[in-house]
Amino acid sequence: MITSFLLKSLDRSIVVVVAILLGLAIAIPALNLLTAPDHPLHVPTFLVSLFGKYLTYALLALALDLVWGFCGILSLGHAAFFALGGYAMGMYLMRQIGARGSYGNPLLPDFMVFLNWKELPWFWQGFDMFWFAALMVVLVPGLLAFVFGWFAFRSRVNGVYLSIITQAMTYALLLAFFRNDMGFGGNNGLTDFKDILGFNIQADGTRAALFAASALTLALCLVLTTAIVRSKYGKVLVAVRDAESRTRFLGYRVEHIKLFAFTVSAMMAGIAGALYVPQVGIINPGEFEPGNSIEVVIWTAVGGRGTLIGPIVGAILVNGGKSIFTAAFPEFWLFALGGLFVFVTLFLPKGVVGTASAYLARRKAHRRAADAENARDNLVAEPMAAE
Amino acid sequence: MYRILQTLLITLCLLVSAHVTGLRAADDLGALISALGTAKLAELDDRIAALAKSGDPRVIPVLEALGEGNLYARKADGGVFLTTEKGTNLVLVDPLDGADIGEVPKGELQKIKVNNAVRRAVRSALGGLTLFSADAEARLKAAQSMRQTPNAGALEAIETALAAEKDAAVRKTLDEARAVTLLVSDRPDDDKRAAIKALAEGGGREALGVLTSALSSADASLKPDIEAALQRIEQAQAFWNAGQNVWYGLSLGSVLLLAAIGLAITFGVMGIINMAHGEMVMLGAYTTFLVQDVIRGSYPALFDWSLAIALPLAFLVTGIVGLAIERSVIRFLYGRPLETLLATWGISLILQQSVRSIFGPTNREVGNPSWMAGAFELGGLTITWNRLWIIVFALAVFAALLFLLKRTSMGLRMRAVTQNRHMASSMGIRTPWVDALTFALGSGIAGMAGVALSQIDNVSPNLGQGYIIDSFMVVVFGGVGNLWGTLVGAFSLGILNKFLEPYAGAVLGKILVLVLIILFIQKKPRGLFALKGRAVEA
Amino acid sequence: MNQTISQTKPKSLLYLDGVSVSFDGFKALNSLSFVIEPGELRAIIGPNGAGKTTMMDIITGKTRPDEGQVFFKGDIDLTKRDEAEIASLGIGRKFQKPTVFESHTIWDNLELALNRSRGVFPTLFYRLTAGDKARIEEILSTVRLSARRDDLAANLSHGQKQWLEIGMLLAQEPELLLVDEPVAGMTDAETAETAILLKEIARTRSVVVVEHDMGFIRELGVKVTCLAEGAVLAEGSIDFVSSDAKVIENYLGR
Repeated sequence: MITSFLLKSLDRSIVVVVAILLGLAIAIPALNLLTAPDHPLHVPTFLVSLFGKYLTYALLALALDLVWGFCGILSLGHAAFFALGGYAMGMYLMRQIGARGSYGNPLLPDFMVFLNWKELPWFWQGFDMFWFAALMVVLVPGLLAFVFGWFAFRSRVNGVYLSIITQAMTYALLLAFFRNDMGFGGNNGLTDFKDILGFNIQADGTRAALFAASALTLALCLVLTTAIVRSKYGKVLVAVRDAESRTRFLGYRVEHIKLFAFTVSAMMAGIAGALYVPQVGIINPGEFEPGNSIEVVIWTAVGGRGTLIGPIVGAILVNGGKSIFTAAFPEFWLFALGGLFVFVTLFLPKGVVGTASAYLARRKAHRRAADAENARDNLVAEPMAAE
Repeated sequence: MYRILQTLLITLCLLVSAHVTGLRAADDLGALISALGTAKLAELDDRIAALAKSGDPRVIPVLEALGEGNLYARKADGGVFLTTEKGTNLVLVDPLDGADIGEVPKGELQKIKVNNAVRRAVRSALGGLTLFSADAEARLKAAQSMRQTPNAGALEAIETALAAEKDAAVRKTLDEARAVTLLVSDRPDDDKRAAIKALAEGGGREALGVLTSALSSADASLKPDIEAALQRIEQAQAFWNAGQNVWYGLSLGSVLLLAAIGLAITFGVMGIINMAHGEMVMLGAYTTFLVQDVIRGSYPALFDWSLAIALPLAFLVTGIVGLAIERSVIRFLYGRPLETLLATWGISLILQQSVRSIFGPTNREVGNPSWMAGAFELGGLTITWNRLWIIVFALAVFAALLFLLKRTSMGLRMRAVTQNRHMASSMGIRTPWVDALTFALGSGIAGMAGVALSQIDNVSPNLGQGYIIDSFMVVVFGGVGNLWGTLVGAFSLGILNKFLEPYAGAVLGKILVLVLIILFIQKKPRGLFALKGRAVEA
Repeated sequence: MNQTISQTKPKSLLYLDGVSVSFDGFKALNSLSFVIEPGELRAIIGPNGAGKTTMMDIITGKTRPDEGQVFFKGDIDLTKRDEAEIASLGIGRKFQKPTVFESHTIWDNLELALNRSRGVFPTLFYRLTAGDKARIEEILSTVRLSARRDDLAANLSHGQKQWLEIGMLLAQEPELLLVDEPVAGMTDAETAETAILLKEIARTRSVVVVEHDMGFIRELGVKVTCLAEGAVLAEGSIDFVSSDAKVIENYLGR
C-alpha cells in the first residue's frame, strides 16, 4: 500500500529534481573534501554550509506550499514551527557541550549558570539523547500545529483570519522566547555548539555530512509531499482550496483534511529548522519574527505555489539573491525584497515554475494540434498512395 | 524639563519682586548674610532663624546654597557668596542682587560648613519662609516638604499660614502637613486623634508613611486609632490603584484605537489586508519630526503649535502615499486578500528602508509641546497630560470618522461600494475613485495617529512594526466592518492588558492577551460585534 | 396540523416541524413545517426572501434553527449534526450558483464525489477500483459529459457545470437530493433535458427542487409547496397552488 502510494509521485520532473538533489548530496561534499583548496572546482566549507542552509529553507518553503499552495491555508506561523524544530535541535547541541562551557558546569548550559539556576528544568530532560531530540524536532511543532489547527479549523477560521491568528501565535512565541525565565537562553538563544553525534560541528567532514543530510531529507520530503498531493487526499486538498463548502457538502470533514496537511507541514518545517541550526551555529528568538514567516511565503510565491518544485527553486533563488545582494549593496536588499513581493503578486502569480510549466504545456498542446493538422493533411493527401 | 522651567519662573518672579521692594533693606540683610560667614557651627541655627525672620525672599537662594554646601566666605574680607564650581575655580554670585562677580581659585574662599542639624534647620526655615511666599506654587511646595519631613517646631508657622491661606490645593496640603506635624508634637491626645482622622480622610502614600512611622512611637492609647486609619488608607489606595490601572488601560486602549482605526477602514470596511498600515503610522510620526525640525530651526515660537501643524500635513502625506499605493498596486488585487497581504508587506519593507536611508536607522527626537507635558492629580490618580490628550484625540478621530461614514454623502458612497460594488457602479458611483479615496482616508488617519504616537513612542523606522499585529488583533477582536467594535475592542484589550500586567508582568501579560484573543476567535470567529446572516457568507 | 405531521414522522424521509430561525431580528423562517416522503419529487416555489435557501441551509446543517425539529428517516436529528455528517447520511445539495472544483478534471470531480470512505487515511491510500471506474463512466454518460472527462471543470459552459454538479450529487448516492434553481441561466433545450434528468433521478430517490421557473415546474408535474415569509403558504398540485388566492397575491401576482 505504502509503495504504491509513493510510486504515484514518480513523475518525470520530480524524478529529475530528486536525482539532482541526490547528485548534489554526493558532489558537493566530494568537491569540498576530496579536492585541494586551490583546485578550480573546490567548494569551500563556508559555501557548503551556505548551500546547506538554502536547502533547509527550500524544505521550509515546500512545507508551506503543502498547506498554502494545495489547501489555500496561508500560514504565517511556519517560521515558528521552523524555530521550534531548531530549538529542539539546539537543546540537544547545548547538552552536548557538557563541561566545556565557559562555566564548566557538566549539566547546566552556560546561560542557566549565569541566571543562577541550580538544576536543569524538566523540559530540558532527555535532550542529551539524540533520538529524543530528533523525536521532539517533529513532535513539538507537530503537536502545536495539531492543537492550534484543531481549534482553528473546527471553528472555521478561514483565509486572512487564519493568517492573522497564526501570526499572533508566532508573535506570542517570539515574546515568550525572549524572556529569560522561559529557559531557552532569552535574547541570545542557544549557541557555541561543539559536537553533534560526537563529531566536531566545525569540522569540514561534519559540515559536508550535514549538507548531504539536508539534501537527502529534502529529496525524501519532496517524494512524500508529491505522493500526498497526487493521492485522492491531495485532490480533496485542492477541492477544499477551490470550493470549501462544496467539499463539505460532499461529506468530507474539511477540518480533518486541513488538520492533517497542517500538522504534516509543521513537522516538515520542524525538520528543516533542526537541519538549519547546526549549519548556522545558532538559534535565537529572532527566528520567530513575523517577518520571517512572510518571507517564506514569498519564496514559495516566487517559485510557484501549488507546484512542488516551485518552492524549492524559489527558496534557493531568493536566498541566493539575498546573499549576493547583501554583500554587494546592503542598503538595497530590502528595496529588492519589497519590490519582489509586489512584482510577484502583480505580474507572476504562478511563480517561475508555474509560469514555465504553463508555457510548456501550451507549447505542447500547440504542437499536438499542429501534429493533428499535419496528420489530417497527410490523410487527405495520401489516400491515393494507399490504394 | 517642566521642573526646571518652573524653578526658573519662580526665581524670575523672586528677582523681580526683590528689585521692586528696593534696596533699603539691603544693608540689613547683607549684614545678616555676612554673619553666616563668621558663625560657628553651633551658632548657625540662630543666624538661620534670624534670616528666616526677615521674611525676605532673597534669603531663599542663600539658604538653599547653604544647605547644598555652595555658600562660601571670602578669606580676604569675609564676604559671603553663592558659588558654582567651574574646574578648580568657583564662580561667585552676589547673594543680594544676583550679580555675577567672576571666577576665583578655590583657595581664596572658605566653605561655610554645615552638618545634618544645620541642614534640617535650613529646610524648615526655607519651608517657613516659602509658606508665606506670594507665589501659590512655592507655598504648595513648602507645604509638601513640611508634610514629608514633619518638624514639631514648625507647627505654629503652619497654623498661621493655614489661617491666611486662600488657595484650595495649598490649604489641603497644609492641612495634611499640620496633621502630620501635630502627631510628632506634644499636643493633647484628642488633638492627635483628630489629626489621625484627618489624615485617614486625606489618604495617600505620605499619610501612610507618616502613620506607619508614628505607630511605633505613639502612645498605646493612640495605636488602635492609627491602625484603623492605616487600614482605611490602604483600602482607599487599593481602590485608587484599580482606578490607576483603568486609567493606564484607557490610555493603552486609546493608543490601540489610534493605531487600529485606520485599519478598521482599510481592512474592516474594504477588506484589504494592509500590512503597510504600520508604516503609515510611522510616516505620520516622521512628518511630525520634520515639522518640529523646521520650527526649531526657523520659528521656535511656534513650537506649541507644532502638532496642530503636523496633523493636517501628516494626513495629507500619508493620504497621498496611500492613494499612490492603492492606484499602483492594490487595485489590481481586489478579491485576492492573501495576495494583498504579500504585496503590502513588500511595500512596508520599501517604506521602512526608504525612511531608514533618508533619516537614518536611529530614533529621531520629537518633543512634547508644553501643553502636553506634565501631569496633574485627580483624587488618588496621577494623570499625565500627554496621555489625556491622546485619549481625547483618539475619541475625536473616532467620532469624526463615524460622522463621515454615517452622515456624509462620501460615507454613503463608501458604504455602498463596499456592500455591493456592482449595484453601486450601476447607480453611477465611480467605484474606482471611491476605493482609492477610502484607502487614502484609512491611510491618512493612520498618519494622524502617527502624529499622536510620536509623543509617546520612539520615532524610528521600526515604529510601525510594533503596532501592526496589535492593530489587526483589535480589528479582528472587535468584529470586522464595525467601527464601534474597534472602539470597544481597543479599550477592552487595553484595560485587560493593564490588569494582567501586575500579576503576570508586561511581557507575559501581552502573551496572555494574545492567547486569549486566539481562543476568543475560535469561539467567535467574526469578533465581538459580528454581522450575521446569509450575506456574510456570500 | 401538528397532529397529522407527527403521525407521519416515522415513515417520512424528511420531517420539519415548527422550524424558526432569525438573523438580527429578521425572521427568515417562521415555524416552517413540512414532510417529504421516500421517493417523492417535490417542487418548492416562493418569492425572494421566502426562506427557501435558509430552509436548505437548515436541512444540510449549515445553519442551526432557533427552534423546531428536523428529522431524517424518522429518527435522525439533523439539528445536531454538521454538513459533512449530514452529507454522509445521504443528503446531497446543489447550490444556486454551480459549484464544481474548477482546477480538477471532470473525472476527478466525480471521483471525489463518489460515495466512498472520506477520512484522511482512506483517501490518502485510495486506489481507483474497476467498480468505481464503471460507476464514474455511467454517471458521465448520464450527465452527457463523457467526451470531456479529461478537461478541467473550469472550461465547461454554465449549463454543463450545472449538470456536472448534478452528476456529482448522483455519485454521492444520496437518498435525498436538494436542488437549488437547477435551470437558472439555461437555454430552453437544456431546461427540458434537465427536467427529464431530474425525473429520472427521482425514480430511485427523493428530490426537492427549488425553482422560480413556473414552466419548468409544470414540466415536472409534481406536488408543489409555496413558501412565503418563512412559512408554508399552500401545498398541492401546481394547478391547485397557482389558483390559491394567497399565492397569487404573494408570489405570482395578479
